[in-house]
Amino acid sequence: MGLYVLRRLVLAVPTLLGVTVVVFALIRVIPGDPARLVLGLQASEAEVQRLRSELGLDRPLPAQYARFVARLIRGDLGRSIATGEPVAREIASRFGPTVQLAVASTVLATLAGISVGVLSATRVYSWVDYVAMGVALFGVSLPVFWLGLMLILLFAVQLRWLPAGGYGTLAHLVLPTVTLAAFSVAIVARMTRSSMLEVLHQDYVRTAWAKGLTARAVVLRHALRNALIPVITVIGLQFGALLGGAILTETVFAWPGMGRLLVGAIVARDYPVVQGVVLVFAGLFTLVNLAVDLLYAYVDPRIHYG
Amino acid sequence: MSRVLQSLALASLVASLLALPQGPVTAQSVPRQLRIAVGVDADRLDPAEQTTTTVANMVDYMFETLVDLHPTKLTVVPRLATRWQISRDGLTYTFTLRRGVRFHDGTPLNAEAVKFTMERLKDPRVAMALRFLVTPVQAVEVVNDTTVRFRLSKVTPTFLADLSTTQFAIVSPAAVQRAGDRWRSAPVDGGTGPYMFKEWRRGDSIVLERNPNYWGQKPLFDEVVFRVVPDAGTRLAQVLAGDVHMAMLPPAPDVRGLRRNPQVKVVEAASDRVVFVAMNTQWGPFRDVRVRQAMNYAVNKKAILASVLFDLGTVSDSPCPPMMFGYHKVREGGWPFSPGRAKELLAQAGYKDGFEVNFFTPTGRYIQDFQFAQAIAGQLRNVGVRANVTTMDWPSYVAMIQTPLERTRVQMLVLGWAWPVLDCDGVLYGQFHTASHPPRGLGPAFYTNPRVDQLLDQQRAEANVERRKALLKESQEIIWNDAPWIWLWTQKWYVVTARNLEGVLIHPIEKWTALCEPQEPAVGHHCVNWR
Repeated sequence: MGLYVLRRLVLAVPTLLGVTVVVFALIRVIPGDPARLVLGLQASEAEVQRLRSELGLDRPLPAQYARFVARLIRGDLGRSIATGEPVAREIASRFGPTVQLAVASTVLATLAGISVGVLSATRVYSWVDYVAMGVALFGVSLPVFWLGLMLILLFAVQLRWLPAGGYGTLAHLVLPTVTLAAFSVAIVARMTRSSMLEVLHQDYVRTAWAKGLTARAVVLRHALRNALIPVITVIGLQFGALLGGAILTETVFAWPGMGRLLVGAIVARDYPVVQGVVLVFAGLFTLVNLAVDLLYAYVDPRIHYG
Repeated sequence: MSRVLQSLALASLVASLLALPQGPVTAQSVPRQLRIAVGVDADRLDPAEQTTTTVANMVDYMFETLVDLHPTKLTVVPRLATRWQISRDGLTYTFTLRRGVRFHDGTPLNAEAVKFTMERLKDPRVAMALRFLVTPVQAVEVVNDTTVRFRLSKVTPTFLADLSTTQFAIVSPAAVQRAGDRWRSAPVDGGTGPYMFKEWRRGDSIVLERNPNYWGQKPLFDEVVFRVVPDAGTRLAQVLAGDVHMAMLPPAPDVRGLRRNPQVKVVEAASDRVVFVAMNTQWGPFRDVRVRQAMNYAVNKKAILASVLFDLGTVSDSPCPPMMFGYHKVREGGWPFSPGRAKELLAQAGYKDGFEVNFFTPTGRYIQDFQFAQAIAGQLRNVGVRANVTTMDWPSYVAMIQTPLERTRVQMLVLGWAWPVLDCDGVLYGQFHTASHPPRGLGPAFYTNPRVDQLLDQQRAEANVERRKALLKESQEIIWNDAPWIWLWTQKWYVVTARNLEGVLIHPIEKWTALCEPQEPAVGHHCVNWR
């Protein structure tokens, strides 16, 4: 098992290197000059050129890339063009809020999604099932932006129960979590439902019923445990994606996460920040995938690596 | 099933309990904390490196300049300097500093600090965007503790107005040296302003605290918090929910309703940002002045302002916005709307059947930009000009504007121009002088007129105020009738505030003031107030 983990981590390095090449190239191919964008329309061309030279943006691309990699090996992600701050510090300041939101909405999606999915599967084709899947359809279809604004209008402006966006207390976490989880709950619920339906028809489940076990024991201990593998995959992927930020939710709720950092950097053509954030995100995503794979082995004793 | 209901009830109870610490603002007492929702996060807090007006606005709470611009009269008024003398040749300015002013770190404001600040602005390691503003300063001399002398290399009629911009704010040499590398992200104790830097939570908020030793009127609030809220709808929701006391630029379509809403106040005023459609005067039909004038006749600006911009603009009656020095009203009420006249002129120029043209516009950069571009295209179609509206993201747009004439695909585009110094030179030279053709400058009309060039060069070197105004007047008349632009409007800048917040003013350079402003020395200070 240990060897397996090691092998996976080693294989991640060329993947991440490939990511840096692609991002490096892509962000420079699109039109837009970071120096001009920092200094604004009214700055003189001479001043813009001076900044461009200072940032090394007028050197040939391979030289710029080499400089980037050399710094990376030393653990230095460079400095933001817009703020002059180390990229690592910019990312670190957004990391906490991003993780909070990712964890909270994943936990909500997992609990709510699996509950609804199990409920649907055990009462399949009943009105409970149809209502649940109908709500799931809404969750997947509602635009995040719209849902967020509606929740703000209702709970913050009308009822004044919760703050209208922002970051800080537990109260600030509620609405963004619900908004973000809406989509995931739907996916997890549907996945659980279909996976459970498959499992519930298996022979060993029938055996469990025949043995006279309670419904709870059959459904939760025997059926759900076996149905979880595809569900874990979905949850893992969702969580991994959320670690890269959730730009729409962050914008609507003024949440200081990585999504806004990344999109803001792209709009400002802040090359070091874009490269840094994407790299960090790719690394985290790789780790999450590895964790999910290890989780399979824990959940299903038949699976082992090595 | 009942367990589910129980959980829901519990959840809403918890939610309402959690809401308690963040209660809404009560009407009676002055809040301890003034909360303002802004649309952008700061990039740098060093006054010298300011490029965005909103960020400069926040920095203004902490740092002050030698002189200020009166928000409505637009005259130069004292701030950290109480008196000044200008030599007859216009090359020497001597300032007397206010006595007893201290920086937040306790060190005194003196001529040394002014000299340090100015020399710092010339340092290439400080990324001052509008460096040309400080280039004329050849030397700064310390005469004594409270007297400082500037020697300029050339006559600069706008020098005093330039000194009022945030970049020229006086900083404490000790604080700058103490902060070193971290100065631009944490300018601790470096200013003289009514509030001091406390904390910057990136992407979230900037927190300032009251300066107990401020030389002017005592600051009203213990703390000022700028909340970063990128979405205009959410900003508005925060004001309506009572989470913040003021929000800049709520969504334009909501403004009419907000003007009638008794819970809030909309504070709006004309800004110096002129919005226009630039026509590439070196391309096809636009080479003919009659075609350009026809385009102006074809567009009904008043109608568009009323129905697409919700009255958030004022029709242009000159190439230069009204509040700038040297403004001359060329045509009362703006260019008249007359589709008949437009068709006549087009026919005279040989375009009886109109022509096709590409029409670029940004989205979200100016008030209702994408929307009014489509409205304009519709009106142009009525006179036979078929404009294809295209949009793109801002950086790509800037790159497109900067393309030189040989390679540009620009035929017609929407742009806005705001100059931080309220002087017509900024607009006229920056957009209509041959030297401002891209890529050297940002005048995408590629307009060139030798007489205009001559006039603009002359006014730059003219120290006499009346002669300068005459030169500017003549250039405005020539440019207006040459119509390199479809003259549209100047935007209004606006904020929405809680009903109790009084005395918020809007500066034409797209700033708000929610502080004590020195107006006339005799009248005393104007202060923002809570009722």
